[in-house]
Amino acid sequence: MGIRAFLDKIEHNFEKGGRYEKWYALYEAVDTFFYRPGSVTKTTAHVRDGIDLKRMMITVWLCTFPAMFFGMWNTGYQANLIFAGNPELLSAQEGWRFALIGSLAGFDPNSLWDNFIQGAAWFLPVYAVTFIVGGFWEVLFASIRKHEVNEGFFVTSVLFALILPPSIPLWQVALGISFGVVIGKEVFGGTGKNFLNPALTGRAFLFFAYPAQMSGDAVWTVVDGFSGATSLGLAAAGGIDNVIGHGISWMDAFVGTMHGSLGETSTLAIMIGGLVLLITKIAAWRIVAGTMLGMIGLSLLFNAIGSSSNPMFAMPWHWHLVVGGFAFGMFFMATDPVSASMTNTGKWIFGALIGVMVVLIRVVNPAFPEGMMLAILFANLFAPLIDHFVVQANIKRRLARNV
Amino acid sequence: MSSQKESTVRTLMVALLVCLVCSVFVAGAAVALKPTQVDNRLLDKQRSILAIAGLGDPGMSSSQVKEMFKGTVSAKLVDLQTGKFSDARDPLTFDPLKASKDPKLSSVLPGAEDIASIKRMERYSTVYVVEKNGELDTLIMPVRGYGLWSTLYGFIAVKGDLNTVVGMGFYQHAETPGLGGEVDNPKWKGQWPGKTLFDEDGKLAVQIVKGGIDAQSPQAVHQVDGLAGATLTSKGVDNLLNFWLGENGFGPFIANLRAGEA
Amino acid sequence: MSQPTIKEVLINPIFNNNPIGLQILGICSALAVTSNLKTALVMSIALTLVTAFSNLFISMVRSQIPSSIRMIVQMVIIASLVIVVDQVLKAYAFSLSKQLSVFVGLIITNCIVMGRAEAFAMQNPPVLSFFDGIGNGLGYSAMLIVLGIVRELFGAGKLMGFEIIPVINDGGWYQPNGLLLLPPSAFFLIGLFIWALRSWKKDQVEQPSFKIAPQVSNKEAY
Repeated sequence: MGIRAFLDKIEHNFEKGGRYEKWYALYEAVDTFFYRPGSVTKTTAHVRDGIDLKRMMITVWLCTFPAMFFGMWNTGYQANLIFAGNPELLSAQEGWRFALIGSLAGFDPNSLWDNFIQGAAWFLPVYAVTFIVGGFWEVLFASIRKHEVNEGFFVTSVLFALILPPSIPLWQVALGISFGVVIGKEVFGGTGKNFLNPALTGRAFLFFAYPAQMSGDAVWTVVDGFSGATSLGLAAAGGIDNVIGHGISWMDAFVGTMHGSLGETSTLAIMIGGLVLLITKIAAWRIVAGTMLGMIGLSLLFNAIGSSSNPMFAMPWHWHLVVGGFAFGMFFMATDPVSASMTNTGKWIFGALIGVMVVLIRVVNPAFPEGMMLAILFANLFAPLIDHFVVQANIKRRLARNV
Repeated sequence: MSSQKESTVRTLMVALLVCLVCSVFVAGAAVALKPTQVDNRLLDKQRSILAIAGLGDPGMSSSQVKEMFKGTVSAKLVDLQTGKFSDARDPLTFDPLKASKDPKLSSVLPGAEDIASIKRMERYSTVYVVEKNGELDTLIMPVRGYGLWSTLYGFIAVKGDLNTVVGMGFYQHAETPGLGGEVDNPKWKGQWPGKTLFDEDGKLAVQIVKGGIDAQSPQAVHQVDGLAGATLTSKGVDNLLNFWLGENGFGPFIANLRAGEA
Repeated sequence: MSQPTIKEVLINPIFNNNPIGLQILGICSALAVTSNLKTALVMSIALTLVTAFSNLFISMVRSQIPSSIRMIVQMVIIASLVIVVDQVLKAYAFSLSKQLSVFVGLIITNCIVMGRAEAFAMQNPPVLSFFDGIGNGLGYSAMLIVLGIVRELFGAGKLMGFEIIPVINDGGWYQPNGLLLLPPSAFFLIGLFIWALRSWKKDQVEQPSFKIAPQVSNKEAY
């Protein structure tokens, strides 16, 4: 109980009138990170449940691990594959990362260790910057506004890091998470009052501010001077045939051995984490089901309509599922309890709206090959409205029953 | 007093008077400023034509621009159907863009031919010719076509051999700043001069390629590197060049000109 | 009603009663024309002149305007002024007027002009109204110029078209922020400015439209 004793010993410094009164939020965060909050509900409203916001957020955080570890390995694997094929590129690479990787491991795509180290050298700095910069804003606002630092940030930070392209410059990471946390969340009053998903808000900011580092063909691999399109980019150019022509089968796309964002490529790894979320009822199954149905419905419709000039029309739904950020967005982003719809019926509609919008953007919009980010943000905006109508409909129905 | 102020007659009187004073004011301003406006619009166009043809420098004063344009460049009307010069309209006042909206002077393009997505195509167009010692030195042709978000309007200038590009540029578009908007980047525009439009067999060969040009390839002289991160704008520029330099655009005219029959 | 002084009507709208910052008027043009400083400046001057002179003329004839048609009379005067400004711009700054496109014409519908005419010029003498127009124009201008500077400097590395920070595409080191060149960025910026302004001048903060009632009883609420 060394930590407990230490925390208790220094607690008085942080209470009202104490020496470090201003830093109470930070103390509280550290305290509750290690221990269950000591305070109990003081009012008549009482929920008996072992889970609270903190435990819930930690679970989500843990559930991203399969995708995260797979992403690290895949980032390294893709890079080492390129090096294996083009040895001249390896000597052309510069930067501290390559010196580090060289001292810890090699560049063999068949070695689990080499791939993992390579990927970690790219992912961990991104995650660290996200955590430090985002955490700074979180603590700053908590201190000034006198609210608690919320574990929601654990989730925001890991999600944000996982949806970035691996080659993103670190200063852009810092800028993106700052925008996400401050504009996406804190200006509205902090966790629980934001109507947009902060991680996606940050990514959207980067997407529009620095399109050259966030989209196109050159950013999805860490190898400088190599262009590798994502499966969606390939599909937009020439349909599914083009994807398969580039040596990516459906199974590859499902397992995730292809170019893409850090943690978005593997539908399999995402599903493992996602299923845990569904089983523990942290993620609403209605949203996931609604998203799937919306996506399947519209893609089937597009398949039926067909188009001679747009190969994306013919893309079947099971491909939509495994390419781009669909799976990740569906399990981890759309189900964000704060920015999604709250009512049960609303969740179905909310999910379906996302599913429909994704396919619509992917297939019809010429400018953006991927639509998951925009679709979820779009649906976030509509979530309160959906809830409003669901509640109104309920009131009407009950009134009709009783009058 | 107040009842008198609100009476119908007075209301009408005030309304009439205000309208009268204002209309005189506005009409006066419009009439007085009209010549300067026309002058300026022309100057703007002349400046961009000169810039694309690589004549003069961008910091020229307005009188210098006018002087230079008058001295070196002459506007000529081209009948796009026959591919020959025409004098059906006055080339100085004829506006091809306006004509493309006039059903009498334009026709609807069938979808398959409309690779530049311009929908309507005018019958006549104005080209600008620079002559030196009685010989064609530079030919400047207007081009336009759809990029990602907007129609790009511009000119392409070729040398007297009707093959070597002197310059290419757009004076109006609304592509994404930083991506498609880089069509205005002097670096990108700097790639165009010296490229050739047609290959040895006289076929249109100019194209925008994605992801770097192989300098060894015999095609390299026709190729321009695409805009980084702006696939659709690059494709749009490629399409509009193919359209305007092809069969439906200035293709027949260029062929005639080369044969000396224009 | 005691009349405000000329100094008050000139200075107040800049910080204390900013048309964009506090009254939230004229946002549309503020989003559209501030992607570079030059257009923002021209727009500022145009709007300031229109507001000042429309205030002046309307105030001059205010006792003659029948109240049943006063809005229309105001509109006619404002519209005439805007057309003249538009014509002058077309004649003497053609390339700028091309960039400003419809937004000069839309000054007619800019709430600031109409608002000052109706709220101030109809009750105050001409000279005072004239300065009120200038003051409100300056308030609008202040916001536009700040937006223009931030957006052009960080969006393109330039000011007034001159390079300030060398950008990567031209061989420099700065990676311009493309979002700032798109109109929505002005929304965020205006929001941030309003935030800063209201942290500085607390009296501008609006009353909350509702309060969450304490739970059950005062004793239990904490």
